[in-house]
Parts: sequence; C-alpha cells; structure tokens
Amino acid sequence: MIALALLVVLGGLATLAGLAPRPYRVQLVASLLVLVEILAAALSVHVLASDHALLGHESGLLPFSGVRVDLSPLGALFTLSTAVVALAATIHWLGYRRHAMSSASASSAFALFVTTLLLVPAAGDIVTFLVLWEVMALTSLVLVAHDHAQRDEARQAAWWYGAMTQGGAALITLGLVVLGAHAKNPGFSAIAASAHHLPGAARGAIFLALVAGFAAKAGLVPAHVWLPRAHAEAPAPASALLSGAMVNLGIYGIVLTRTLLGVGPAWWWLVAGFFGVISALYGSLYAATSTDLKRLLAYSTSDNMGLVVIGLSASGLFSAAHHPIASSLALVATLFLLTAHALYKSTLFLGAGSVQYATHERNLDQLGGLARTMPVTTVTVVIGGLAVAALPPLNGFSAEWLLVQSLVHGLTGADPVTTVATAIFVAALALTGGLTIVAFVKAIGVGFFGRARSEPAQHAREVPVSMRLAPAITAGACVIFGVAPGLALRAVERASAVVTANRSGLGASISGFHLGALRGAVDPLALALGAVVATVLVAGLRRGLGLKGGAKVRRFEPWGSGRIVTSARMQYTATSFAEPLQRVFDDVLAPQHDLDVSHAIESRYYVERVAYASANDDVVERRLYRPVLALATWWGMRARGIANGSVHRYLAYGFVVLVIAVVVVS
Amino acid sequence: MNLASLLTGATQLALVVLGGPLLLGLMRTVRSRLEGRDGPPVSQPWRDIAKLAHKQRTRPNESSWIFPAAPLVLVATAATVAVLAPLATLTPPLSASTDFIAVIFVLLVGSVSLALAALDTGTAFGGMGASRALTIGALVEPALLVAVLALSLPLHSTNLIAIVAEGSAHASVLVGPSHLLALGSFVVVILAESGRLPVDNPSTHLELTMIYEALILEYSGPDLALVTLGESMRLAIWFGLFVNLVAPWGIATHAGALAILLGVLAVALKVALAGVAVALFEVTTAKLRLFRLPELLAGGFILALLGVVTGAVMR
Amino acid sequence: MTTFANALASAAVVVTVAAVVVLWRRRLRSILVALSIQGVALAALATLLGAHEHDGGLLAVALLVLLVKALLIPGLLARVIAATPGARETDPLVNVPASLVIAGLLTLVAFVAARPIVALVGGPTGRLVPLGLATVLIGFFVMVARRRALSQIAGLLLVDNGIALVAFLVTSGVPVIVELGSSLDVLFGVVVLRLLLARLTAAGVRDLDQLRSLHD
Repeated sequence: MIALALLVVLGGLATLAGLAPRPYRVQLVASLLVLVEILAAALSVHVLASDHALLGHESGLLPFSGVRVDLSPLGALFTLSTAVVALAATIHWLGYRRHAMSSASASSAFALFVTTLLLVPAAGDIVTFLVLWEVMALTSLVLVAHDHAQRDEARQAAWWYGAMTQGGAALITLGLVVLGAHAKNPGFSAIAASAHHLPGAARGAIFLALVAGFAAKAGLVPAHVWLPRAHAEAPAPASALLSGAMVNLGIYGIVLTRTLLGVGPAWWWLVAGFFGVISALYGSLYAATSTDLKRLLAYSTSDNMGLVVIGLSASGLFSAAHHPIASSLALVATLFLLTAHALYKSTLFLGAGSVQYATHERNLDQLGGLARTMPVTTVTVVIGGLAVAALPPLNGFSAEWLLVQSLVHGLTGADPVTTVATAIFVAALALTGGLTIVAFVKAIGVGFFGRARSEPAQHAREVPVSMRLAPAITAGACVIFGVAPGLALRAVERASAVVTANRSGLGASISGFHLGALRGAVDPLALALGAVVATVLVAGLRRGLGLKGGAKVRRFEPWGSGRIVTSARMQYTATSFAEPLQRVFDDVLAPQHDLDVSHAIESRYYVERVAYASANDDVVERRLYRPVLALATWWGMRARGIANGSVHRYLAYGFVVLVIAVVVVS
Repeated sequence: MNLASLLTGATQLALVVLGGPLLLGLMRTVRSRLEGRDGPPVSQPWRDIAKLAHKQRTRPNESSWIFPAAPLVLVATAATVAVLAPLATLTPPLSASTDFIAVIFVLLVGSVSLALAALDTGTAFGGMGASRALTIGALVEPALLVAVLALSLPLHSTNLIAIVAEGSAHASVLVGPSHLLALGSFVVVILAESGRLPVDNPSTHLELTMIYEALILEYSGPDLALVTLGESMRLAIWFGLFVNLVAPWGIATHAGALAILLGVLAVALKVALAGVAVALFEVTTAKLRLFRLPELLAGGFILALLGVVTGAVMR
Repeated sequence: MTTFANALASAAVVVTVAAVVVLWRRRLRSILVALSIQGVALAALATLLGAHEHDGGLLAVALLVLLVKALLIPGLLARVIAATPGARETDPLVNVPASLVIAGLLTLVAFVAARPIVALVGGPTGRLVPLGLATVLIGFFVMVARRRALSQIAGLLLVDNGIALVAFLVTSGVPVIVELGSSLDVLFGVVVLRLLLARLTAAGVRDLDQLRSLHD
C-alpha cells in the first residue's frame, strides 16, 4: 500500500514537473516517470510472484465510497506490461521531444496519462475505476490533440476520439452503476458476489452495455474509427502508449465484466466473438492495404484486439459448454497475446516515430532504403513486424500457437454451436494471419528496404541514442519471450486463474510449452537454435564455395527490362504491392477510383494526359458514420427553425407541453 | 533427444537435401517426355546448383543485409523442418514437440525473408513477385489451417508425428471422409505453396506472368544455388508430408537401422510417384489468371471446412 | 460397423461436395459431371443402406436413382448444352469465391439447424443429416446466384438430391413408389424445362434476367 501511495505521489510530482521551465522540463518529468514505472513494475511483479491480491481501502479520499484498491494478479499483469511499454515510451520521448511534444501541457498530460494507465487495473470499486478511467481518457485526448494547431487532421482525430471514448465511458458508467446499485456496494468483489441474483435479461443487457463501452476503447469494429486517426496523429511516445497500453485496458474491462457477471450463457460470447472476427478480418485487410505507416499500425491494432476478443469469446464459450480446461487455455492464450501485442506494437510505433523524426514522413510510398541509413531502427522494426506476423521464434508465434491449440482442444463436436464458432474462429485467425504477413512485409520491405523513394528518405540519419534504445528494449523482450515463452507463462497463468478459478494444466520448460493432459507441445528455442545453427553452417558453406569465384561480392545494376539505368521510381510502391489483394477484396473494401483520360485532339488513339486517383478510406466510416452524421447535421439545421429566438414561441412550446402533460396525466 | 534420434534426423536431412533437386529434375523430365521433348536428365538441377556454386557472388547496387541473408534463412528453415518432420521415420528428434502449425510457420519464415529480399532489390520485378506470392500465401492460409484442424480432430492434437502415427496404426483413419476432404484441400495448398501449375508456371520466363521467378530474379551464383536448393527442399518436404498423410505405409516406427532404410526407400518412392502425378496434372492444365486464383483457393478452403464439419458430425 | 459408417459418410460427403463443385466450376460440362457423380453417390448410399438392412425395395430405388439421376438427366442436359451455341460457362451473379464462402456458411448453418433431427434419428445415419440439409441450401443458393437457365435446373436438381439424401437417412429407405414418383416428377420437370429452354434459345434468350424485359 505504501508503495502504491508513493507511486501516486511520484506520478503527481511528475505531472507538476510538466510546469518546470523548458530546458529541463522533459528530463525532469521523464526521470520521475521512470521511477514511477519501475515502482509499478516492482509492485506488480511482487503481486504476481506472491499470487495474492493487493487490497486496501481509504475512505474519504473520493466521494461515495472512498478509494478501494484491489490489485489482483490479473490487474498486475496489465500493470506490468503497461509499465514496460511506458518505460520504453518515456525513454523514446527524451529524444523525440526535439521533434514534438515538449510543451508544458503535453508533458503534464503525458505524466498523468502514464500514471493513470498504471493505476486503472488496481481500482477495486466503481468510483475509483471510473475516476481513473476518465482521467486516462482526458489526458490521452490532450495528447491526441497535440498537433491541433498545425494539422487539421489532428483536430479531426481529437473530435472522433473524444466522441467515441465519451460514448464508451457513458455505457460503462451506466452498466457499472446499475450493478453497484443492485449490490448496494460499489466494491468489485461485492458486485461479483451478488450479480448472479440479477435476472438473466438484465445481466445480458449489462453485459452488452459494458462490452460495447470497453470495445470502443479497445478499437473493435465498428467502434474502431477513432483508432487510425488518433494513433496516426498522436506523437510517437503517446501512440505507443495508446496502442500498447490503453487498448489493453479496454480488454481488461471485458475480462473485468466476466469476473463481475460470471461466464453467462453462450450467446454473450457468440456476440462478442462475432465482433472479434469482424475486427480481426477488417483490421488486417485495411492494414494490408494502407500506405500510411502509422495508420497501418493502428489498423493492425484493431486486428489484434479482434484476435484477443476471439480468444476471450472462445474461453467464454468453452466455459459455457463445460469444457474448463480448454476455457482456461484460451484465456491464457489471450492474455499471452495481449502482452505480446503490447511489446511488439509499442516497438513498431516507436520505430515509426523514429522514422518520422528522421524523415518527417509517414507515407510508405515516400520511404525506402532506411536499412542502410537507420540500421538499428530497421532491425527493431523488423523484429516487431515479424512478431506481429506471428513468425517463430518471436512472441507473437507462441501466443498464436496457444490460441490455435485452445481452439483445437475446444472443438469436441459435442455442441454444434461451439463447433461452428470454433471453426469460424480458426478460419478467421488464419486469414488474419496471412493478411498481417502481407501488411508487414509491405511495411518493412517498402518502407525500410529497397531504394529511397524521396529526398528525405535518401538523407535520413539514424536517430539519437534514447530513440534507438527504447524500441530495442521492447524488441528484445519480444525475442526473449518468443524464444523462451516459459518465462512468462507462470505469471500469465496466475493472472488467468483469477478469472477461471482453475488452471489450464499448461506446463512449460524454459524453452517451450506442453499442454499437460492435452496432447501438444512446441519448442521455439529448439527451432530457433536449429535454424540459427543451420544458417551459420550454410553461410560457411557459401563462403567456402564463393572463394573459387572470387571472395569479393560484385555489385551490379538490377534488371530493368533492358533499360541501362533503373531508378527508384520503378520500384513497387506500397500501393502497387497491395493492389492484387485490393482487387481480390474489391467488394469489401469498395475503394473509390477516379480515372480521367483526356485524348489528343487529332486522334482518339493518342492519349494526352491520364490522371488516376484512388482513395481507400474506411468503408465503415463512409457507409455507417457519415450517413448518421449527415442525418444529425440535417436535424440540427431543422432545429434552428424551431428555436428562432422569439419569446412567444418558447412560451407556446411550454404551453403545448403543459397541455399534453395534463392530458396524459388525466 | 538421444543419439539415435539425432542420426535419424540427419538421415532425413540428407534425404531431403539430395532428393529435393532430384524430385525437381524428375518432374521436369516427365513433363518434357509427355510434351514430346527429350528434356534434361533427372540430375540437371544438381548440375545447375554445382555450376552456380562456383560462380562469383553478386548483389544489386542498393541492396542491404537482407538480400544475402534470405537464401541462408530459406535453406536453414527448410533444413530444420527436414530434420524434425516425420518423413522417413516416426522417431525424429524432439518428436513430442513437432507441431504441424510450428512446421508451417517455420517454412513461412523462409518465404517471408525471400519476399523481403525481393523488395530489397529495388526493382519492379522483385516487388511484383513478392506482392503476388504473399497475396497467394495469405489466401492459402485459411485452407491450410482449417485442413490442419480437420486432421487434428481424431486425436485432438496438432502434433504432426501423432497424426501420421495414428494413420499408420489405424488404416480406418485414412479412409475417413474428414481425412480425405482435408487432404483434398491440402492438394490445393501444396500446389499454391510450391508454385506449381495452375497457380504459377515454374518454367515461365515471361516477366509479366511469373510469380516465383520474379521473386528471385536478381539472384545469381552461389546465392541462386542456395535458393534453388532451398526451394526444392521445400517441395520435397511438402510432398513428403502429403504422401505420409495419405499413405504412411513403410514409415519407420522405431529407430532401427533397417527400419529407417526401408522408411527412406518408401518415402522416396512415394514422393517420386507424387511428383510424376503432379507432372502429369501440369501437362494437362493451364495456368490460371492471378485473379481467378481466389476461386481455386476458396474451393480448397471449403473442402477443409467440410472436413471439419464431417469430422465433428461423425464424432 | 465402422466400415459401414465410414462408407455411408463418404457417400453423403460426395453428395455435398458435388453440390459445392456446381458452385465452384464455371464450365457447364463440369457441372453436369458433378451432378452425375452426385447421382452415383446417392445410389451408392441407397445400396449401402439396402444391403445393410436387407431391404430389396431400397436396392430397387438405388437402381432407379442411378438410372434417372446419374445417367438420364445429365444426358438430357448435355444435349441442351450441345444444342446451345456459345454457352460454355456459367454466368455468376455472385462471384465464385464469395459463393464458396457463402456455401461454407450455409453448411455451418445446416450443421446447427439439423440438431433436432440428428438427436431424433441418431445413429450412423441420423448424424449425416446436416450434409443433406447443406446440399438443399446450396442448391437453393445456386438458383439464386447463377444466371443461366441451365444453372437453375442444376440448382433444382441439387435441392431434389439433397431432399432425397435426407429422406434416405431419416427413414432409412423411402418406399419405392414414393421415390419413383419424385424421380419421375423431376424428370418430367427437366424435360419441360429443356423444351422451354430450346424455345428460349431459339428466341435468342440466354440469361433468365433477360426475361425481365418482357414485362415492359
């Protein structure tokens, strides 16, 4: 408890330090924040190691209930992964401040944002939770709106984000308050004890409200529209936190919903799973066709959260179908995927921030060739990208393998509905995986390899030490937990046992998993060792053979269909790379093409000018939100006529209402 | 992991390394005979590899570290799988953790690194090849994973050794409709993954129609030798896995020298037969347009899905 | 027992896969081959059931199915194709990959929807009912999603074969007279459609959508 109080005090100090004068401001805030993060990490490691929740109650600090603290191993896992991500983001910020985000408001908001992110999972009652949740939302909104003076896009992003997050918060508040009123106690443990007395329909309604509210935070389709805007416009350290920590808390909310309400009937999880599948497919499809590096990453976040919700839904379904082992296995896989995502996605966002710092460019079609000018950043981004693509031996692979295993073991065929849902989950997982590989080979191959496509990319210079170090920390963690997933397993399993109350029977050595009673095991360390040894042997062989042809590698101009000199403009761009996929999914993406051919006056067979424009904007936004917004605007315009300023008219309205009320009452 | 299993692993590796190029040669020879040409001898791919290996190494002007690294990763990942997979024997090293999904993803690492290297060349062809190959790869994935799901149904395990062992112990598994449907989908997957007709024409040299050839266009010398070797090893691995899922007869069930020798002979014979069959099929079919491919791959996916449904129904 | 169950399931699976092939392939000839194979599988299923239950009537039905559904109807339709110039491929309203994904979803729907029947009938036959139901649904979808008149007939035949499959599985054998009646009905329908098609072709109509212009 004292450590927690210290954490709050330090966080508050860091927030105040944002007001310090400019030359030392960021250093001061960052060093205080590093202390906060280390403290939070130590605290959560302690909770995970002891396997006991940290409980506390301080009445009088907040109205209604005081402050109640309940940091269970589940919450500790979230705090721990947030702390690691925040540490990397803070270090990155030390360098990034020369590019942006050095103002007093941004510094204070960043400090408060980090502190609340770390504290939300420790909230033990409704009031504490909601207060922290709102502070988190507001401070992140300040960060998203950081560039609003310079960029119109940033202002728009802030509007979208603000609207979605407040709508979500309203639903969450509604659901939690109803639960608390029913339990006559705002404490989460009291709610969990009493919620099963609620009638089934009410529980279902509360479940839907809470999950919808938290899904808006997690960026699930169709509430994802703020994600590609906000993540793209926020400064890099902030977007790393948004994607690596804040969306996780949306998922934490859904898990919390399950602990509060119990597993419930299967249809809850079918609904959740449906949105998970849609988000996974939609997010990965847009990630594969985006050309803006940070938008791509944001869509990939939406896709990963979809996978996480698929895992949660599978866990709920298996539990409802009385298959406890598969249920816990699915939850362990989900939490593993969530922590893995926090690590690799923050690596990628920090890397993208470094690229932006060095080139002032986010558009992949303008990048290229960074592998030679920014070698360290490139390596970290490659690791992060291959981890998202779930390739061994990185942590994304272990997570996805576990998730598939839980689905394989849950598909017993006993219950057709569960079987069908599981089959759809596996298919969605597979297509998502394939599309994610396309997305990240494109992002890495076009953005970092090949030739520079623009002047800034040509003259890019490697970023300062702190910005190289930060993604290297998270990328290193991706490798460690990928090669030796067993290291993280016990912590994840303790966290999941808080929810499922039984263990998955999953065993682990340092190097891999084995599924205990179920048949299945994987050993990424052995695979990695085998592949590395083989690589070294083959490299030696190639060097030995190469001696005969001359040890020196000859450089040549690549084949350009007979042209003597090739240019960077002849390369495939990100747009052309994604074109086949875009054509395959034409019906879904419905991209807008505009082809304008003007012919020469002399003959129709000679083309004078061809203008081609294609826009691949978000189809949900275009087809769902735009009409709704247009309707709202139209309604607003009509309402103007009603309120024209005449006092007599207002009195008349009052009179009409009065008459109606009298009639209704009588 | 003991000495015997290591030796069996090494035997399998030698078989795949030596046999892969021969399989490629066999398929080319059969195709040319059927088309009325004499064709090169079966050993031609090996001669090509030997010739290329003695040339000077080259690389495009503005390429980076991924370009020379990709052939190494391609061969190394194929070699890792060759050691671990149940090709000639059911007792390779680490048999408890030879997972089907892990095998697929390890092979995928090779494809991804080759695609990155293709983009690294900084040419239109590299990008074209990478884009097409990965698009196909993405669309193959659902068929592949759902087929694995269907194959895993009888045992509730994706352990590759266990699946093959189950088939070799109980022939009734092999003729089960769920198993057959999954294998039908597997045929589509293998044709796509190994770039055979009707997905990709391995003998084309027309720039606009090629997929795989465009991907590796800038490689030459020892690097091209490695890429050819790696690709043929992958072909042999896919075929070897497939024939052992169809008919695991002859596979060594214990680590005796004679049993393994028999296993090697059996798998070589079965893979050769599969190669001849695919070559026959390739002669009689034309390459599909790139944008007709989703039809083929969706068909493979539906077969696998029917396999899962049938397997669940039959339970 | 397991061999019998396996063989029975394989025959039922072939019926469903043939329905998928009708959606999958574009060449009209391949569709006819698929229909013919479906007839053979249906006949094989009836034979298996007949042999298993020592029911001579069922064997007679099997022979009838073989003659009508595997030989006669595809033969008649093949002559339609031969007589229609320029109609070698189907003309999908819904593109093929999307159709296939929808067929997959229909199969899953059938699997869920057939739960009560499966529970009621039980045993090695009852649990295959979802496959028959899936065939019926896919048949309807073929009629919705394909433009050519011949595809419509193929869809109708798929529906009929699916119903026959369900009937075989649920009642373990339809009385000869019922099967005879339904088979002859379908045959009659095909003959009428064939004549109609010949007239339409003569009038230059190839897609049924073109009939819409009649009401103007």
